[in-house]
Amino acid sequence: MNKGDLFTCPFTVNSEIYNGFISLFNDKNPLHTNSDYAVHQGFSGKVMHGNILNGFLSYFIGECLPVKEVLIQTQEIKFLKPVYLNESLLLHAEVEDVHESVNTIVLKYYFENRDKVKVAKGKIQIGLLK
Amino acid sequence: MISDRLKNIVLKELDLDDFDFKDSTTADMVPGWDSLTHIQIIVAVEKNYKIKFKGIEILKIKNMGELQSLIDAKLAAVSTGL
Repeated sequence: MNKGDLFTCPFTVNSEIYNGFISLFNDKNPLHTNSDYAVHQGFSGKVMHGNILNGFLSYFIGECLPVKEVLIQTQEIKFLKPVYLNESLLLHAEVEDVHESVNTIVLKYYFENRDKVKVAKGKIQIGLLK
Repeated sequence: MISDRLKNIVLKELDLDDFDFKDSTTADMVPGWDSLTHIQIIVAVEKNYKIKFKGIEILKIKNMGELQSLIDAKLAAVSTGL
């Protein structure tokens, strides 16, 4: 991979993922599980767990890059807008820097929704295994 | 002599408040400096100084003094356009 390389990957926060996340991690905070509460807090409905997006990033790094021998070294994410159930997102990622001396690549990324609104952004540093 | 700039980069990556780095300081003498944090330190040095090392250059480094010398050589090469 080279600096400037671009990647995209589509995702949807469907019921299976939403319920699976709650089942696995037991985060049943009312913001995520009670529509009335979420609306009362100013949202349009139940807000999906932000860390579902980290699961999408894990899939992207592990399965969608042109190389499979990779290891996430650092990761940062900023949640910019709420994501709701059944919302479709498109992940955009770009190779920001290549550190050949230590076989490391830095990707910057963002998720956008169908309205082209960025809902999250961040950076991931990955190591290329030998 | 280890510059404050390099010292602070290493301290930050290792989450250390302070350490008395000398030219002869090796990685195994510094708390937390292992193979994984080594990668973070090199990446941080490359970003901070806006320089790039070669893999073989990193492998040859034996201590902090040699890392400082390599950085200085890279910066000198940049300033002279080499």
